[in-house]
Amino acid sequence: MSDLLLSVEQVEVVYHDVVTAVQGVNLTARAGQIVCLLGSNGAGKTTTLRAISGFIGLDHARVTGGRIVFAGEDIANAAPHICARAGIALVAERDKVFEQLSVRENLEIGMVAGKTGSQAAGGDRLDLKGIYRFFPELERLTGRQAGFLSGGERQMLAIGSALLTSPRLLLIDELSLGLAPVVVERLAAALTDIRDALGITILLVEQNANIALSIADYGFVMENGRIVLDGDAGRLLAHGDIQEFYLGQGAAAGERRSYRAVKQYARKRRWYG
Amino acid sequence: MARASGYLKTGYGQQLVLVETRMQWMLLALLAAALLALPLFASFFLLDLAGQIFLAVIGAVALMLLTGIAGQVSLGHAGLLAAGALVTGILTQEAGAPFWITLPAATIAGALLGLLFGLPSLRLKGLYLGISTLALHFIVVFLGQEYETIRGFSTGISVHPPRIFGWELYDPAAWYYVLLAFDVVVVLFALNLLRSRTGRAWRAVHERDVVAEALGVSVFRAKLSAFVISSALTALAGAVFSYYRGFVSVEAFSLFVTIQYVAMVIIGGLGSILGAILGAIFVTMFPYAIEAALETTGLAAALAGYVFAINYALFGLVMLAFLLFEPDGLAGIWRRLRDYFFLWPFRKTPLAGGE
Amino acid sequence: MQLLANYLTLAALYALIACGYVLVYRVSRVLTLAHGEVMMVGAYLLLTMGTLFHLPPLPAFIAALLMSLVVGLAIYWMVMRRMAGETVFAAVLVTIALGILLRGAMALVWTPRLQYPAEAIAMENPSVALGGSVAVSQASLLIIASAVLVYGGLFLFFRHTTWGVRMRAVGENPRLAAQRGIAPHGPLALAWGIAALTGGLAGMLLSIDTGIDEAMAIIGLKTFPVVLVGGLDSLSGAIIGALVVAGAEILAIYYVDPLVADVAPFLVLLAILMVRPWGLFGTREELDRV
Repeated sequence: MSDLLLSVEQVEVVYHDVVTAVQGVNLTARAGQIVCLLGSNGAGKTTTLRAISGFIGLDHARVTGGRIVFAGEDIANAAPHICARAGIALVAERDKVFEQLSVRENLEIGMVAGKTGSQAAGGDRLDLKGIYRFFPELERLTGRQAGFLSGGERQMLAIGSALLTSPRLLLIDELSLGLAPVVVERLAAALTDIRDALGITILLVEQNANIALSIADYGFVMENGRIVLDGDAGRLLAHGDIQEFYLGQGAAAGERRSYRAVKQYARKRRWYG
Repeated sequence: MARASGYLKTGYGQQLVLVETRMQWMLLALLAAALLALPLFASFFLLDLAGQIFLAVIGAVALMLLTGIAGQVSLGHAGLLAAGALVTGILTQEAGAPFWITLPAATIAGALLGLLFGLPSLRLKGLYLGISTLALHFIVVFLGQEYETIRGFSTGISVHPPRIFGWELYDPAAWYYVLLAFDVVVVLFALNLLRSRTGRAWRAVHERDVVAEALGVSVFRAKLSAFVISSALTALAGAVFSYYRGFVSVEAFSLFVTIQYVAMVIIGGLGSILGAILGAIFVTMFPYAIEAALETTGLAAALAGYVFAINYALFGLVMLAFLLFEPDGLAGIWRRLRDYFFLWPFRKTPLAGGE
Repeated sequence: MQLLANYLTLAALYALIACGYVLVYRVSRVLTLAHGEVMMVGAYLLLTMGTLFHLPPLPAFIAALLMSLVVGLAIYWMVMRRMAGETVFAAVLVTIALGILLRGAMALVWTPRLQYPAEAIAMENPSVALGGSVAVSQASLLIIASAVLVYGGLFLFFRHTTWGVRMRAVGENPRLAAQRGIAPHGPLALAWGIAALTGGLAGMLLSIDTGIDEAMAIIGLKTFPVVLVGGLDSLSGAIIGALVVAGAEILAIYYVDPLVADVAPFLVLLAILMVRPWGLFGTREELDRV
């Protein structure tokens, strides 16, 4: 298990000292893996992601139990910029780009930030050219103010800018949110390329299980603040519950139900059916 | 904010009641008795101090409505006080008007000023509003100075004591009761306002104006009404102040006065009328307390020339300390103490994971 | 012509003061109400360099400027840093309290009477004839020159330096900046530092001409209209604001009444707020944030 990059062990996050958002979450990611975290709204995916990237501290929340071990160090409750410098880059759901800065300046911000993960570990530093290789669109737009970019371009810029901090772990919250399917496919392909070329570990939080599982190696499913299912992406994709709930195939098609409800229904069917 | 939950309420009527329990009635009765009895024992100095506090309470409650409840910063408080005092002074001097004309006139002048300076600020939020009220301050003070120089009242405009049926309000003890009555009316007015639709609209605008608008609160009307009501009350306070002092001088309404009032609402605790009263008491007594402290420690002689500066510096320090370490102010401390006794012998502890 | 010279001097002074407000606002979204007092600190430091260390003008200025920078950093580190995560409203109130504290402390240390740093550092302030009957003081020329230098420097700094881009990034979106590994404290402290430096410089140069006492803080307040007229988040706006407000003030002094001078900036402000509440150069959505 020497290539274990991130391991979240029995983590519990409490907001305002009162509300428990996630409890006993266990999650691991190995170097060079694409891991996805699935779940419906309010399942605790984003909280988990924010706990890893240190952002819960800004939202009056704390990790009150368990450990978050990244590259051998416990980073639970560290400040966001400390996590970023340790080599964790986050592409958040909302704050994606600096709208008043140009595309180029946005990218350079990542490099400005200096001494981070893979560089500290002696790896090659990525430069603007490297980013343009993955996203040629950005090269055309280099002088454009980022506030004027389209949703897809923003997402590319956000990923590019995050990559320039030379992370070892890239966290992406809702890659597909509000984007056209064709753009999402393009981005998903780019993520695979990035992983293959740079050896970066990617943790993807998604509602769109199909896209996520198609590029991921391993997947976790969250429900009500707990991990309820995990396994290789291929096996998850074939799993009956996933198909019923997330992919809308089978019995529950057309009606969204929680994972737990689906399980209960399945159990009942076994007992009484 | 965490606090003891109080009493189970079983109807909207109970929600609206001002005094909830028999204990509170008893405490209020005790307080009223003490306040009413005070002039029988107090020295002239104490009565004057009480008068100053009562005056400050009117202004502080007005500012609390605007800043603490409706969430609008104002730096024009001294200007509004000055406006009320000036209207009184000018009307007495030029037309010999009695108090039952000048007081309403000052109130209306305050409301109009609030309307005038509130209007451009409506499209603005917090800070811009504050700065445009700063403009109000400078403009009122400028106009007052102009009037004083042109009419030759460079030392101040004298105001005759108010007359009711041939009886002059002059005696300090009489003033004490008049001002006390004023305060009771103002505080009840403010408390009632907060229970009303207007007060709830203000709180909603303070919390998040976009959401308030979506819930059907007219942000425009809420902000403007907060501004107008607060300005009118403040100008009224200024008018009463001019009668109390017997003369009006713009010099008395410097920016420091504004800051004192802002300090009252901060130190008292934003968002609570009780806080406004506590803050007014604290800030008014502060310089006297410092003086007394210097006297007793025997440092007064050595630091004679510096008393004002010491006052200033300590005042800033206290404000800073409250903002940084006790944002709920004196009212917050009071609530915590009350909860402590209320819950004793049990103690409130945060849920698992808390400090 | 004399009018023009006075006008430029006043505009430069306003611009020099205003950039402190803009800097702090742009990076931390806090409108500081203690800037007038920070100017006074600068002037008093200059005075002390003369009375205590008997420094000649140039070293005295440099030493006082460096100390102003330190004062700004200290204000951030000791006070404003604790306001992270609090509302902007509370942070503004903190700056009011800070202003009072500074003013009291300064009166304690330096006494409230009018003093002249020019004498203390043995700096002459001759009238410089500019041809014809036009003459301005040397300090006025210095004010104009430093305003040009400061603004030129700041523009280059924000465009082309790492720290400049970082400050813009933190100002726009501190969360995203943290995601990219920028600790928020550095840029914020630097903004306060530079604001204290430029404000202190304005205070020092002004005190060469007029001496120093409590009245200087009022000039800090009178600069508010300049910043708001230009737009709180725009440096170029601050220049335009300074030109507009100084123009109105000079015209009022010459053609109406010198007493109006104190009110003129605020009248301009009210007029502008009626038409363009976000200022001449400010961004419109900026209003939603304050």
